[in-house]
Amino acid sequence: MSSKSLTLSNISKRFGSVTALDNFNLEVGVGELVALLGPSGCGKTTALRVVAGLEHQDNGTVLVADKNISEVPAHKRNMGMVFQAYSLFPNLTVEENVAFGLQMRKVNKTSRLKKAHELLDLVGLDSQSKRFTHQLSGGQQQRVALARALAFEPEILLLDEPLSALDAQVRVNLREEIRRLQLSLGTTTLFVTHDQEEAMSISDRVGVMNNGVLEQIDTPDALYNKPSSSFVAGFVGTMNRIPAQIADGMVEIFGSKIAALKRGNESGQVIALIRPESISVIADSATPNAKVLTRSFMGASSNIVCQTADGTIVQSLMTSASTGDLHPGSSVQLRVLSSEVLVANA
Amino acid sequence: MTHKVIEEGAPTRGRAFLTSFLRNFLPATPLLLIVGFFFLFPIARLIYVSFLSNENTFTIDNFKTAVQEPYRTGFINSIKIGLFSAALAAFPGAIAAYFIETRGSSKLRRTIAVMSGVLANTGGIPLAFMFYAALGIQGQLTKILKFFGWDLYAGTFSLGSFIGLLVVYMYFQLPLMVIVFSPAIVSLRREWSEAARNLGANQLNYWIRIGIPLLFPSFIASFLLLFASGFSAYATANALTVGNLPLTPLQIGGLLDGNVSAAQLNLGKALGVVMIIISACAVIPYLAIQRRSARWQKR
Amino acid sequence: MKIKLQPPLAITLLILGFFVFVPMISAFEYSIRTPLTGGYGWTHYIWAVTEEDFLHYILRSMWLAGVTVLITLFVLVPTLTWLHLSNSKVRGIIDGLSLLPLVIPVVAFAVGAQISFPEFVQNTVLELPFLYFVLALPYAYRALDIGLSAIPLKTITEAARSSGADWLRTITSVIVPVIRGAVMATIALTFALSLGEYTLTVLLHWDTFPTWVTYVAQENILGAIAISMMSLILPFLILTIITLFVPERSTQGRK
Repeated sequence: MSSKSLTLSNISKRFGSVTALDNFNLEVGVGELVALLGPSGCGKTTALRVVAGLEHQDNGTVLVADKNISEVPAHKRNMGMVFQAYSLFPNLTVEENVAFGLQMRKVNKTSRLKKAHELLDLVGLDSQSKRFTHQLSGGQQQRVALARALAFEPEILLLDEPLSALDAQVRVNLREEIRRLQLSLGTTTLFVTHDQEEAMSISDRVGVMNNGVLEQIDTPDALYNKPSSSFVAGFVGTMNRIPAQIADGMVEIFGSKIAALKRGNESGQVIALIRPESISVIADSATPNAKVLTRSFMGASSNIVCQTADGTIVQSLMTSASTGDLHPGSSVQLRVLSSEVLVANA
Repeated sequence: MTHKVIEEGAPTRGRAFLTSFLRNFLPATPLLLIVGFFFLFPIARLIYVSFLSNENTFTIDNFKTAVQEPYRTGFINSIKIGLFSAALAAFPGAIAAYFIETRGSSKLRRTIAVMSGVLANTGGIPLAFMFYAALGIQGQLTKILKFFGWDLYAGTFSLGSFIGLLVVYMYFQLPLMVIVFSPAIVSLRREWSEAARNLGANQLNYWIRIGIPLLFPSFIASFLLLFASGFSAYATANALTVGNLPLTPLQIGGLLDGNVSAAQLNLGKALGVVMIIISACAVIPYLAIQRRSARWQKR
Repeated sequence: MKIKLQPPLAITLLILGFFVFVPMISAFEYSIRTPLTGGYGWTHYIWAVTEEDFLHYILRSMWLAGVTVLITLFVLVPTLTWLHLSNSKVRGIIDGLSLLPLVIPVVAFAVGAQISFPEFVQNTVLELPFLYFVLALPYAYRALDIGLSAIPLKTITEAARSSGADWLRTITSVIVPVIRGAVMATIALTFALSLGEYTLTVLLHWDTFPTWVTYVAQENILGAIAISMMSLILPFLILTIITLFVPERSTQGRK
């Protein structure tokens, strides 16, 4: 069964007085890995569960390719799902778990165990096939869960924070594995997470959600460099928020005038959004405009936190070599390196 | 900064060994002393005396008598009532537990848990009164049933008969089942039924392949505990029967109360030991199964 | 998300309710009958409560139960705390020992008790709380064990000790409040078990409230019914009401 596209149109879902999804729209292309990223309670898991059929939407439709599956019960939707944890059946062995989807589709025992082994091999766990859940580590369990979700070649793969319960190192390895598998199988995938590094590193596109609404969906690059809202800017990566005056489409920051993106001829007070790597810190300058508060050595780069005269905290990311002689208390000059900046309302 | 309670690595020499041994043991002494004196000692003595004849010599005659009439019938009746009351209460109790735990609100579940706790401990005279009032010859329910055409007392039924006792035992066996089986229901994770649905299983498939296999051991374990409860019940049987129904707990009680046949002073002890053996045959497997199930039931 | 009363649940509760309450209500109805005047009244209850033995036996049972609770808490809380903290090898043995009373039928235990204890023990009613303690042990031990397992015991103990608290203060001021739920449950079940214990008590020829009711039944059946009703319905109602109206304190998030 080859993968299909997934479309959510105008999905709304309320739980009592809480609106989990508010006119939510999403399109995932064939073979694409789209991540839904956002803080707890933003609705990303609800959206995923609506797709899976585990929650029923109040309004809107779910389409797979062109087929409307909004009223199709969960067990007939032909989607593979990986849950956050504890989803393997404890009374079945690893291989029986993986073969379960095929068993439900009436595949005979030899064939389905063979397919199970193929997938366990893909995730590197063939040797554990006769074991039980409680004998495996968290990372191993999730790999089995992944194999189980893919065994019956689903049209869509759904992942609900599959790595959140795992150790940091396991998380990094496993997310790479998920991406590799997804690419080689070409499965249309929807991946829910609250970890922005996770989402950005493996997705084709990332959708940032807040309060039941999709704020922006774009490639990781675009999200990082061209966030469309203050929320997205702050959620993805670190962002400096520097108060500044705007006039005629130019903002004045650290003594220079820089073009403001997407602003007309307004004037007044705004907040300039600038990434740490776009701010440089210059020591021994004739015109210092800030004092260093801390310097965090992170190997190749260092994070310098400074404070300007008006009290604004500014973070700068520079190579450690160029900041070697900076220490708390040093007077420095801050400069913006980019030629245009994002601006948000004050 | 931290205060270590126990040292790592037990030393093996002299004074250090003694200190380590004491540290490993001493705080448990109060508990061990009480349990030892008030529990282990009486049981040990029971077993010991059961092998003594009237002249304090070793004998197995007590046991020989214990397995003959009328005690034999007593055992058979007691085992029967244990099995039947367990069987009658197990399914309804399991189903009730299922609906309560999966569909009930948190408040409802807690309330039922407390009520079940009280009801499971109901017995003896109060319970007998309640059933005399409801199902006795002049009972309210009896009158209502008669009105609808069913004369309970047309045949040989009486509350002190085997069937009558069975009905009354339900009053505490059912709540006991709910109490003992509910943890198993609770530990059925939502993820399993959702994963099963996602993988293509409808409700029936889920229950056949996942739900029931997981619940089965706990169900059997609960049944075993119910058997032990019905088998060992004394107060209720004492209140309802009038000597017409031989039951082991009652026979032992009779022997204790001074109706001692001079023939065998220690017969009651032997009966007690056999009772312990039968009870252990149920309770020990119960404990073993629960321990195994705890593996996947951990939340 | 509120879960409404669904049909299967409602039916289950209805059937259970019928089964549980019909005998209770029938007996209650009996107990408020006044044969002499032909109507209903509280005659038997008034009679029961004004019987001088009533107060005597109720107080006796209550203080016996109270002593049992004290023994249970004073012995189990420190011992279990120590077991959890020290990882002693004895723990497995004690865990097993705590379950043993479940295996032994109370009647058999009564026989053993009757022939084992020296005179001075047999003659004091104080043997009862210790025996009740043994009977309640499987439940009390487990309740406290689970309670202690659910908290970061080692961490809070070390925090308390390093702040200068001695063991007594650590247990009473730090640990017990944290496992408050388990302690309350232990107190409730131990108290209830001791208050209602009949078999062991009667076979050892002691007189407590439950056994007194049996005695009363021989003379004044309606009065005995009234007493039984009180000893049954009152705790039932009180506990149910408390549970319904006390807000639940969740110490851990449940998934």
